[in-house]
Amino acid sequence: MQPSSAPRVEIRRLGEIPFAQALEAQNELREDRLAGTGTDTVLLLEHPDTITFGRGSRPENAPLSDFELRSAGYEVFRIQRGGDVTYHGPGQIVGYPIFNLAQRGRDLHRYLRALESVLIETLAAFGIPARRREGYTGVWIDERRKIASIGIGLRRWVTLHGFALNVCCDLERFDAVVPCGLAEAQMTNMCEFSASLDVSEVLPHLEAALYKEFG
Amino acid sequence: MPKVIRMPKLSDTMEEGTLLAWRKGVGDPIQRGEILADVETDKADMEFESYTEGTIEELSVEPGSVVDVGATIAIIRLPGETDADVAAAGVESSTAAPTAAVPLPMPQAPTEPAAPASPAAPPPGLPPAVEGPRVTPLSFDDGRLRATPAARRRSEERSVDLSELEGSGPVGAILLSDVEAYLRELEAQAPEADGVRATPVAFRVASDLGIDLEAVKGSGPAGRITKSDVKAFLDGERRLSVEREDELFTGVLQLSQKRKALIRNMVRSKAEAPHFYVQMEVRADALRQLRDRVNAEAEKERPRLTYTHLIIKASALALEKFPDANATYRPEERDVALFGQINVGLAVDVNDELVAPTVKGCQGKNIFQLAEEANQLIQRARMRKLQPSDYADGTFTISNLGMFGVDRFYAIITPPQSSILSVGSILPRAIVVDDELVIGTVTTLGLSVDHRVLDGVKAAQFLGEIRRLLENPEELTRDATEFGA
Repeated sequence: MQPSSAPRVEIRRLGEIPFAQALEAQNELREDRLAGTGTDTVLLLEHPDTITFGRGSRPENAPLSDFELRSAGYEVFRIQRGGDVTYHGPGQIVGYPIFNLAQRGRDLHRYLRALESVLIETLAAFGIPARRREGYTGVWIDERRKIASIGIGLRRWVTLHGFALNVCCDLERFDAVVPCGLAEAQMTNMCEFSASLDVSEVLPHLEAALYKEFG
Repeated sequence: MPKVIRMPKLSDTMEEGTLLAWRKGVGDPIQRGEILADVETDKADMEFESYTEGTIEELSVEPGSVVDVGATIAIIRLPGETDADVAAAGVESSTAAPTAAVPLPMPQAPTEPAAPASPAAPPPGLPPAVEGPRVTPLSFDDGRLRATPAARRRSEERSVDLSELEGSGPVGAILLSDVEAYLRELEAQAPEADGVRATPVAFRVASDLGIDLEAVKGSGPAGRITKSDVKAFLDGERRLSVEREDELFTGVLQLSQKRKALIRNMVRSKAEAPHFYVQMEVRADALRQLRDRVNAEAEKERPRLTYTHLIIKASALALEKFPDANATYRPEERDVALFGQINVGLAVDVNDELVAPTVKGCQGKNIFQLAEEANQLIQRARMRKLQPSDYADGTFTISNLGMFGVDRFYAIITPPQSSILSVGSILPRAIVVDDELVIGTVTTLGLSVDHRVLDGVKAAQFLGEIRRLLENPEELTRDATEFGA
């Protein structure tokens, strides 16, 4: 039995849902956590084709206008998270942990590194060697290829937004933007290493890694 | 006393954060729990709430600035406080937090020459960093300089650049004795043979940065060039080069990953593969007739044929006949490897982006199968839905600019392939047949060839075979059982 004050984590699978709907779900959970109620929760889901701009976005990383992006079938959002522009779409697992870091040591960087650990461990379960890159939050295959992105928001130690793991998404769809503002980086996905993977096969491993790290 | 707001420490390892945006302006009232600013560190974006109620007295850093943890970012005047309280706090804030912020350059910020008495002025505008909003302090950044008043007075008298000294006092403060020791050292310095007078530190900095001291004006002891002089010179040069670039360019186009890969490949191709070119005119009357006849008889489930489809088929048949044209040179092995498959790439322009989806395994596929596959690929390309496997493993490429009015041209070979066919416009022209001037439908084919793989004669024979097939197009449909030629 864990004492009731010990952090524990709840994981919810939401399937493929639009960004706006997921944001609403995140905000509800965050209000609870800010009010001191609720449980640390991770939402796992996929988005339809979506481009989000973080507060650190620079215009040159989105050569297309919002109008052009929308005509190309993307939903476009500007949100309160760290990092530059990124893409979400089918075949990519998006994870939104709504955690109260005040109960988890009040250390933002430790949290970012913990998210990276979870992703690295999940990838390792499929024999994909991934690692951190000093100074570039996210999970990388090597100096060039990035397989998972991280960008979070924080208010009074309660987190919002989270990570995106490319399982088998259409990498071409990243080409509308410069993901994370890293022009020299190249997005890759798990399928490149292990053909015919899909999201449902990866989710159980990701959940196990999340429970292990945060549960 | 007014409340000094400092850059928060959000983790044990956090050393600095970016002040992204202010949510309040000077003079605005602020309540406890209201958001004062957005702060970013690493990939996390924090809404920074005020724990103090009052009025914003000062916002100490510009949005976009990278600020050390603990440095003052704002001052809030508490309810009922007087100007005197605030004035006192102003002194407090600048002395208690000497780890000054390094502001991002604001284009309009004037660069005042540093007064000798305050060499701790923040470094003037650097060009906006391309890689990110983070500004790395220069090696001679003197933003954290501390010195005793006596040391400052003495160095002012002797034009000493305090940023060159290392303080031996508490918290690294420069003492009068440090200044005296430094001056003695300077006096002992051997005169320079080439006539440039500079302090040892300035020499070192200039040599690290590759600056010729001849061009730098000295303001130090006895006219010596100091580190600050080198820095001022460098800033001036930088400003000039930014201005020059502003004059030269009106904008910058960001390139997609695919475009960058294409550029790399084209450069590699031209650098490594010695290209040569052969060209032939092809009479396309029979080809046009065949295409029109087949399309007139078109059945529902059979794709309409285009010249491109017919040229794919002709290329595939010619490659089958000339297996050493369907090959690649391997520099490491110093040999030519023959491809097992005939995979024909089609250069397609999609919204100003060049892609080359590949029709795979062309040998053994009839004209309609090839047409069907090519159509699907081009369709996917237009919808930007190509998978990497769709444009992988090409062994030969066809580029057609005929529809854009180009009569003839030579494309660049796509590595590791060894040739590419360039198709010009297919139009009626005046030609000579049996000593008579007649009108015929003609196109010009150009073949760019990697000389490491094929020689001129082989290239001529290979292109000649493509021409023969296009001029005798019944061979292109022979294996299509549902269509009797």
